[in-house]
Amino acid sequence: MEYLQCLYAFASCVGFCILLHIRGSSIFWMSLGGAIGWFFYLLCAPAQNDIFQYFIGTLALAVYAEVMARVRRAPATGYLHVALLPMVPGGGIYYTMEYGIAGNADLFLETGMHTLSIAGSLALGILVVSSVARLAALMGEERRARRGCRGE
Amino acid sequence: MNREELLNVAAEAGGLLLRSGAEIYRVEESMHRIFEAYGVRDGNVFAIPSCINVTINTDGGAPLTRVMRILDRQTNLDRVDRANDVCRRICREKPSYEEAMALLDSVRRRPVYGLPAQLLASPLVGFFFCLFFGGSLLDSVWAALCSVAMRLLLAWLERWHVNAFFCNLMGGAVSGFITMAAVLLGFAVNTDKIIIGALMNLVPGIVITTFMRDMMAGDVVAGLIRFSESLLVATAIALGVGVSLMLPRLIFGV
Repeated sequence: MEYLQCLYAFASCVGFCILLHIRGSSIFWMSLGGAIGWFFYLLCAPAQNDIFQYFIGTLALAVYAEVMARVRRAPATGYLHVALLPMVPGGGIYYTMEYGIAGNADLFLETGMHTLSIAGSLALGILVVSSVARLAALMGEERRARRGCRGE
Repeated sequence: MNREELLNVAAEAGGLLLRSGAEIYRVEESMHRIFEAYGVRDGNVFAIPSCINVTINTDGGAPLTRVMRILDRQTNLDRVDRANDVCRRICREKPSYEEAMALLDSVRRRPVYGLPAQLLASPLVGFFFCLFFGGSLLDSVWAALCSVAMRLLLAWLERWHVNAFFCNLMGGAVSGFITMAAVLLGFAVNTDKIIIGALMNLVPGIVITTFMRDMMAGDVVAGLIRFSESLLVATAIALGVGVSLMLPRLIFGV
C-alpha cells in the first residue's frame, strides 16, 4: 500500500515539530501538510517524472501552508518548513555521496544533478505559491487602504 | 515612548524573530510597522541572518543607530509565531516601553522542549523516515537507535558550542558507524535505508524554505547566506557518513 507513506510522512513530521519547538494543536496541522504534499506526489505518479511529482507536491503543500496561515493567523513559514521536510531528497544526497566514495564518477554526477533538480523543483514550487500569496495579500491591503498595523 | 526606547523595542523584536529563524522580510517589515505605529516614518532597517542594522532619527533630527549581531540562531517556530503576534499587538495597542519589553520577554520565556522530549522525537523521525524510504521494520528500529545516539551526541557537542559543520559531520558519522556495527554484528539490514532515515534528523539544517522565501522577497544577500549554510550542512552530513562508511571497509573489509 503506497499511500501508507503519507502516514509515515505525517508521523515523522510530528517528530520534526517537536525538534523545532512547536507546541499545541499546530503540531497536528503542520504535520498534516507533510502528508498532503506526499499525497499529491503519489497522485502524480502516472506522470513518470519525479521532478514534476515533487513540483506538484510542493505546490500542494505550499497552498495548504498559505491557507492555514490565513485561517490560523500564524506565519506560513512554520507550515512550509515542516511540510517540506519529507520532500527533501535525503536519499539523493546519500546515494550521491555513496557513488562519490565508490569512485563511480558517472553515477555520482547523474545522481547529484538529479538531486539538485529535485531541490530546484521544491524551490520553484514554493516560489510560485509564495509570490502569488504575497501578491494577493498586497492587493487585499491596497483595497483596504488602511494604514498602521496590517496583519499578514 | 521616546525614540531611543522605540529603537530598542523594535530591535529586540526584530532580533527575537531573526534568532528564531524568521525570514528577513518578516523581520524588516515587523520593525517598520512598529516604527510606523508610533509615528516614526524615517526608520531604516537592514537585516541579514547574522546582523540587524537599524536607524531612526531623534526628534531633533540626529540619527540613532543600533547594530545587533545575531550569533546564536536556533529554529524555534513557536517563537516566530508568538513574536509575530506580539509585534502586531504592539502596533495595535501602542503599549509603553516597559509593557512592550515585558511582552517580548514573555515570548522569550516560553518553554522549549528539553532533551528528554527531543530524545523521544528524534527516533520518531528516524523510525518513520526509514519506513518512508522503504526500509523494513528491523531497519527502522536501527534507524531509531541511530537517531537517539545522534541526538545525544549533538546535545553534548552543543553544550561546548561546537560549530554547526562539525556537529553535522559527527552526526552523520555516528549514524554511519552504528549502522556499520549492525552489519558487522550480523543483522541483515539495508545500510542505505537506515542511514537515510537517521540522517533526516539533521535535514532541518537545510533551510530550503527560508532561503527561497528570502530570495523571492528580494533579500538576495540573506538568501545567499542561508543557501551557503545549507550547502555546508549537506556537505558536512555527506562527509560524516562517507568517513564512517569508509573506515570499516578499510579495517574489516565489509
